[in-house]
Amino acid sequence: MIMRSRFDEQLSLLNKKMIEMGAECENVINLSVNALLRGDAGQAKMVEAQGQTIDRLEREIESICLKLLLQQQPVAKDLRIISAALKMITDMERIGDQAEDIADIISHLDGRTGGESRDIPLMAHAAAKMVTDSIDAYVKHDVQLAKALYDYDDVIDNAFRRVKSALISMIAENTADGEYALELLMIAKYFERIGDHAVNIAEWVEFSVTGVHKGD
Amino acid sequence: MAVMAASLLITSGFLYEYYSKSQENQLKEELDFAAEMVEKEGVEFLESLNFSLCRFTLVSPDGSVLYDSMADLDEMDNHTDREEIAEALKTGRGSSKRYSATLTQRTVYEAVRLENGGVLRASVNQATVGTLILNLFPAITGIVLVSVALALFLSHKMSKSIVKPFNEIDLENPEKNETYDELAPMLEKISTQHRQISVQMLELKRRTDEFEKITGSMNEGLVLLDKNGNVLSMNTAAEKLFCVDDTIKGCSFLSVDRSVNVTRAVEKALQGKRSNLTETRNGREYRFIVSCNEYEGTTAGAVILCIDVTETAFAERNRREFTANVSHELKTPLQSIIGSAELLENGLVEPEDTNRFIGNIKNEAVRLVNMIEEIIRLSRLDEGSCPPAGRVNLYAVAADTVESLKVLAEKKRVRIFLDGERDCFITGVKSYLQEIIYNLCDNAIRYNKEGGEVKVALKKDKEKIVLSVSDTGIGIPAEHRNRIFERFYRVDKSHSRETGGTGLGLSIVKHAVAYHGGTLTLDSEENKGTVITVCFHNAPEIQKQ
Repeated sequence: MIMRSRFDEQLSLLNKKMIEMGAECENVINLSVNALLRGDAGQAKMVEAQGQTIDRLEREIESICLKLLLQQQPVAKDLRIISAALKMITDMERIGDQAEDIADIISHLDGRTGGESRDIPLMAHAAAKMVTDSIDAYVKHDVQLAKALYDYDDVIDNAFRRVKSALISMIAENTADGEYALELLMIAKYFERIGDHAVNIAEWVEFSVTGVHKGD
Repeated sequence: MAVMAASLLITSGFLYEYYSKSQENQLKEELDFAAEMVEKEGVEFLESLNFSLCRFTLVSPDGSVLYDSMADLDEMDNHTDREEIAEALKTGRGSSKRYSATLTQRTVYEAVRLENGGVLRASVNQATVGTLILNLFPAITGIVLVSVALALFLSHKMSKSIVKPFNEIDLENPEKNETYDELAPMLEKISTQHRQISVQMLELKRRTDEFEKITGSMNEGLVLLDKNGNVLSMNTAAEKLFCVDDTIKGCSFLSVDRSVNVTRAVEKALQGKRSNLTETRNGREYRFIVSCNEYEGTTAGAVILCIDVTETAFAERNRREFTANVSHELKTPLQSIIGSAELLENGLVEPEDTNRFIGNIKNEAVRLVNMIEEIIRLSRLDEGSCPPAGRVNLYAVAADTVESLKVLAEKKRVRIFLDGERDCFITGVKSYLQEIIYNLCDNAIRYNKEGGEVKVALKKDKEKIVLSVSDTGIGIPAEHRNRIFERFYRVDKSHSRETGGTGLGLSIVKHAVAYHGGTLTLDSEENKGTVITVCFHNAPEIQKQ
């Protein structure tokens, strides 16, 4: 019984750290979105510090998971939760990195915002919403919410396609904007990737609750 | 088992000892008797003995066997080397014990010297201890088995009968049991504790109910956390705020709300520091007060109080705007007065323009006075002081007002007319009603187009009297419609000088209508006109604000 209670304690610590990391991810992506829409390089700087917090949390969670696996040798649902957590933190960490990359690009935009292309703000908000929803799904063990994200990913993918064609015509009209257009393309790509990572997290949430992974 | 075996060994050892001693004594007695008889009757006595427990051997002084009751004489050799016989020859009596080759038998010999120098020997065979035990073993085993079974059965039965009263004790009602007297004090104690516990439980339940009722009816969200940051309790308002239900109890607060600021505030509170932050949730603004809950000097948890400050924040913004507006509106005419006065003072004004400048100063001063008067009126309405109310004919009031505005209307080339029922009596304050109609008509004329018209209409039915003022003016753009009743609010700020007015008229209307318990509706279309409808109920309650 003592072993089990210690195990539960460690599991709840893991859960707590996971939510914390999720919240940091949400925070970092919201910061980059705001910085992008306002063309605020100062806010973009703050993203970097947040990114370090995310990396630190990733290592912490990793060591908790490994400790749990080695010392407690969990089975069934507990094992699913821990292995899903190990997979999820990789995606979360990638989200943090990509938000950092976006912030990095913002400081090169010379005060121009992402609002010049209509679909970029849409992608930014959609990506932020997906991250929030995937973390929500994890917190509430909400499989329905997780599944809804699989379809929502299309919103971002479609917007990405529109952004691409809009940027092509932008370059065609005015070649001087070429660099800006390329930067926007990178940002759009990062948002698209963030959406994919959010879907990955949602898949692992479904796995940890039901034991069925969508990829199977 | 070991104890049983040991006791068996010891008992059989003692028994054997006693048994063999008594046998030896018997053997001695028998030998003495036989020796006496042999002395008297010779060897014939032995021969006549056809029944005896022991074996007799008569040995001559030289050691040859003269008689043996069991063995053949021819086979027997000289007996002088036998221990007991040698001893008897020497001392008159001898005895010895010998074990057979298999150790299963022991032979006890007793010998006595006769008067003729010969020796009479009696011997008897004894079983050894081992044989004894071996022989006894089946019987002992049987007895042990039977007794063990019997003991098991009996002890089971007995313990059952002893324990039965214990099992039958009804611990819910300890004092009602009839059981061992020895248990009575304990049962009494239990029953007292029972009563104490139920009283305490009742008290506890009453308190939690009380707490839940108080927190449940609170508009503010209240969350209690334990020292690990897990949710202990959450009132209804908080559950609504965070969109969770009461299954969240016992979970970490992170799964309720994971916003970084709140998380940090909770961490700080658990270290004993209080913090205060404003956050937006579900489109409303909340102030979170996170403080530490201390119990006997140690941190027992944290308390989060969430106050909806949307209205307060809005009112705060409005108040700030109002103050800015007031100072601006009051300053503008004064600046113009000062400007004109300075020009006059420095003699920079041509004599023929002097009158125009003085007229300017007068006009601005009048504007200022008007504005201040309106502010005073508004603040009276704000205070809710109630001037005498009476029966007022709204038609008569409207007729007077329309008449007094005719001059202004003609100046702007606007036609103004009154239409409707002639006896519209309501209970109200005449001066306020006058204000309402005057301000509405005044606006309708000011913001009209040249050649437009203003229609004041009065309609009456059983329940209410409806006053509507419609114009054919410039209308109000949709985005301003919600705000025109605010103080000093102007749709077009740059036009304020041209059209005159203070920006307080509609605000006064709003307050005066509310004072009479009426409702105010606005219907407007840009460039076509505006209709403002005031609806008074027939039995209006004068409301104090």
